[in-house]
Amino acid sequence: MVTGASKGRVAPRSTRRILFGPVSRNRRLVLSGTPLIVLWQLCEALVPVMIGVTIDVGIETGALGPFALACAGIVVVFLCLSYGYRFGALFLMRALQDESHRIRVEVAEKAVEPVDDPRLAGEWLSLATADAEKVAALVFQLAFTAASIVTVLATAVYLARTDVTLALVILLGLPVTVAITQIVSPAIARRTSREQAAIARVAGIAGDLIAGIRPLKGIGAETTASGRYREASRAARHSSIVTARSWGYMSGLTTLVSGLFLALVALLAGGRAIDGELSLGELVAIVGLTQFLAEPIKLLGDLSAQFAASRASAQRLHDALAAGSHVLDGPERLPDGAPREVRFDGVTAGPLVGVDLTCSPGRLVAITTDGPESADAVVALLEGTVRPVTGSVRLGGVDLQQLDRADRRGALLVVPHAATPPEGTVRAAIDPDARLDETELDAVLTASASHDVVDAHPDGLDHAVRIGGSSLSGGQRQRLTIARSLAVAPPVLVLRDPTTAIDAVTEQQIALGLRTRRDAGTATLVVTSSPTLLAAADTVVWIRDGRVVASGTHHDLQDDPAYREDVLR
Amino acid sequence: MSRNLLPVATGRDTTRLLAQHFRRRPAAVTLAVLGFLTTGAAGIVAPRALGEIVDVVQTGAERGGGEASDLAGPVIAIVIASVVGAIAAAVAVAALAQATIPVLAELRETVLDRALHLDAGRLEEAGTGDVMARVGDDVRTVTDSLDEAVPLLLTSLMAIAFTAGGLFALDWRLGLAGLLAVPGYVGALRWYLPRSGPVYRAERIAQGERAESLMATLEHAPTIRAFSRETQAVGEIERTSSDARGLAIKTFWMLMRYGARTNRAECIGVLIILVAGFLMVRGDVVTIGAATAAALYFHRLFNPIGGVLNVFDDVQSSGASLTRLAGVALLPAHDERSEPLAGEARLELLGVGHEWEPGTPVLHEVDLVVEPGERVAIVGASGAGKSTVASIASGITTPTSGRTLLAGRPIDELGPGTVRHHVAVVSQEVHVLTGTLRDNLTLAAPDASDEDLVSALEVVAAARWVAALPDRLDTRVGSFGHALTSAQAQQLALARIVLRDPAVVVLDEATAEAGSAGARELEVAAANVVRGRTAIVIAHRLTQAQTADRVVVMDHGRIVELGTHDELVAAGGRYATLWNAWSGV
Repeated sequence: MVTGASKGRVAPRSTRRILFGPVSRNRRLVLSGTPLIVLWQLCEALVPVMIGVTIDVGIETGALGPFALACAGIVVVFLCLSYGYRFGALFLMRALQDESHRIRVEVAEKAVEPVDDPRLAGEWLSLATADAEKVAALVFQLAFTAASIVTVLATAVYLARTDVTLALVILLGLPVTVAITQIVSPAIARRTSREQAAIARVAGIAGDLIAGIRPLKGIGAETTASGRYREASRAARHSSIVTARSWGYMSGLTTLVSGLFLALVALLAGGRAIDGELSLGELVAIVGLTQFLAEPIKLLGDLSAQFAASRASAQRLHDALAAGSHVLDGPERLPDGAPREVRFDGVTAGPLVGVDLTCSPGRLVAITTDGPESADAVVALLEGTVRPVTGSVRLGGVDLQQLDRADRRGALLVVPHAATPPEGTVRAAIDPDARLDETELDAVLTASASHDVVDAHPDGLDHAVRIGGSSLSGGQRQRLTIARSLAVAPPVLVLRDPTTAIDAVTEQQIALGLRTRRDAGTATLVVTSSPTLLAAADTVVWIRDGRVVASGTHHDLQDDPAYREDVLR
Repeated sequence: MSRNLLPVATGRDTTRLLAQHFRRRPAAVTLAVLGFLTTGAAGIVAPRALGEIVDVVQTGAERGGGEASDLAGPVIAIVIASVVGAIAAAVAVAALAQATIPVLAELRETVLDRALHLDAGRLEEAGTGDVMARVGDDVRTVTDSLDEAVPLLLTSLMAIAFTAGGLFALDWRLGLAGLLAVPGYVGALRWYLPRSGPVYRAERIAQGERAESLMATLEHAPTIRAFSRETQAVGEIERTSSDARGLAIKTFWMLMRYGARTNRAECIGVLIILVAGFLMVRGDVVTIGAATAAALYFHRLFNPIGGVLNVFDDVQSSGASLTRLAGVALLPAHDERSEPLAGEARLELLGVGHEWEPGTPVLHEVDLVVEPGERVAIVGASGAGKSTVASIASGITTPTSGRTLLAGRPIDELGPGTVRHHVAVVSQEVHVLTGTLRDNLTLAAPDASDEDLVSALEVVAAARWVAALPDRLDTRVGSFGHALTSAQAQQLALARIVLRDPAVVVLDEATAEAGSAGARELEVAAANVVRGRTAIVIAHRLTQAQTADRVVVMDHGRIVELGTHDELVAAGGRYATLWNAWSGV
């Protein structure tokens, strides 16, 4: 859905940018970590060389001085490799963690938006954890790739000193061996991608079932529900096994290729040694190095598959982050002096046809409809999630679709029917930023009939509220929501069926509370069919079959039998 | 904020549980172990063959010229070993997956199953994120580390056995010198193990908090948007994610320091071997070749030993996750057996009192008998204890005092399976599961036919709108599907009761969320559903009380009035006040 003029919104990043973002954003960490990892890998390669040197200059000669010196060399190599890895990996780990954190926050920012292509909460969770980490792992993959390549090159250079042919074999053989492992990489990528999607689905189902735990328990459907999860889990398990199988192929292939490579080098080097072109010490060094080369070769194969998996995650992240979201935002500001009033001018949208209505500061207007569809449409228009086909919805004289987001949000609060209190204390559920003083808070509690909710527990305002208010009854939850809305004290307040779970006596208190707010200048619009609230309104706008059939006071409208039927209890 | 998280198992119980699981897959486990041992053994062939090549060259040099054909044996050995190793590796990796992935999948299934069977309040106390982190993050951690640890451990053990054996075979004194490196490795382990366990556990808990904050935001996004709290919600995620990040870096740094200690042990080991070789060659006890081989053998041990030491890290890391999985998986399985009721479905609450939290009584001495087939409405201000009565009457909550009888027997003696079979509750929470309409209905009766479903929908007056949907029963609803109104969603919930067909129904403000227009339809649906059943209807919509057989008025946890609608209105008490407020406008 296209809404308003898109203003200053960042274009979605391409998969490529998501994939390489972790590297380009952490240049310092990557540029300091990677050389240290290269140093580590080179030093690992140097250990067998140094052992050879020690044997040559020390043990073979029996000279203590050179022996001690060579041993000192070994210590230095170890220090380099140990510190190189320790700090190199730490720097990269920082980059990885910073990046997965960053992607996680980015995913969260996207997930709170009204996204066109919705996902289950559990799937977002999976994107924000598993996929974020897979993408961020690229910093490690690159560093180890660099280290492997540099080591192989260094080995080739070292060997070139003793034997150019061997060096060439290694230099040419390496790309070939890595290329061979690429046979498996695409399959791994494809399967990993499918696996990740299946795992995300499993997480999605888990979250969905847990969110519906109470209704499920009510009909004793825990076991059936658990069976549903099992089904999805089995499917994911199958796709995990299939993925693992292709990793098995990769592992077999790298083992085979590096083994054959080693055999080839051994044959060549052995032949030359027998021909006397290589000394024994040189042969030992070459053999040691070639054996060592199996590691970078295997690593390069694995890395290419890991990279493919990271790319699959980047693709999934891209799909989620680039999905359109209808965040309503426009270029126009609210004029300073304009009254904060809501106006529908001949609005046709969904079931509504040519609806006119106005709610001005200091007025309490109720809208009552013959069915939930029209009520939904009125609220959606005010939220801006639906735009009028003809006519306009204006706030302070500005078309809502053209209005600056911050201005709109500062002036207009549309409270959804199923609003849930946040986790924390009762006080935080009402006044999360602690803006109210005790008198104001008391007034809000009175107006929303919430004193009972507070007094229901000895901790009072400090009583803990569970996430979503699950520890509260429906009526308590609705009263806290009204209290919270009043605490925000927006110039224009829109409430949708705010008292459906509240008994009639308490409802009267709330109606009174809303009238007090009206007197303080708030433009209050209540979409309801509760006679108690309708009776409290200055004007009732009655919508039937999508059209405003009448407006007036509840008292006057009651003469119409059709109205009585719509609002009858 | 510290949460009352779900239980964590002891190491011993976790091990026992895993052993049970793996014992059920002997073939895959055996194949994986054999496969990796073969890979390990094949991996040792190359260094041996290379040693032979060195020998061939050396003896050839001593004899004054060797034969290139002498190389054939060792080279062919390397080739064969790599083919065997490759096949073994491919088979072993697949077999390992076949052994471990189902175990973890079963674990996560059991965890979710136990979590779903937990008391809803207990689950909410722990937080959705706690369960989600266990079936998500924890399973992932364990899978990843098993994928690495098992091959590493098996191939490493094989390599260590052969290489160390080779070292001793060269010369027992050189072997002993190699053993001197052991204390260094042991020291590294003794430094690491006690330190890393708690940090890993803390990291897992932080990941749970992170999942919790993500889930909280995702599930409550509409409210967050309405109140413009996106920044704060994302800020909370940023905080928990940042905490988890800090701990991840901390555990990693600890692992790096452990690695440094391993490196130190390696360095010392190599130096000891070289010094021993130096002295022994000088003393003419061993040959230069033996000293060289000893040093190279020892070098060959670096990776396997590092591998084994890493396994300890994996055990620490995945152990922290496994104990969390086992903690929930080992919760007692629920009793699913259901028995027929011994008599008519009379529901009796006798002297029932309840405190959700000690010292805060919410019910006092409630006596209420609902006769078989009778419909009793409970009304009262919100917070009067109506929902608590509903929860106790439906056997979900055990009261702190008093007794609940169903068909003459204490409800807690009937067993949860029986109670859930005969007593159903529709709460005011509306949740449409993501899936098809059919999925939503068959939750109550997995084997119901389409005819059953449609006739249940007819009872709740939903057949018409369902028939009008594009895919009827196959229409996708819930998060991505066709959006249902609250009234429609609640009709589905009522239709589930029809399918479930219990003797006792508790409707806890089941018609509240619909708004008045929808509520009237729902009331008709609800009346159809409870007909012929023993029913408790919690209602603030007094039309429901009006049509009930009897009305109970509650206030501050006590029954203050009890009688028929007409009696109570005539009595002019509290109910009359409520009724006037309700109808008198």
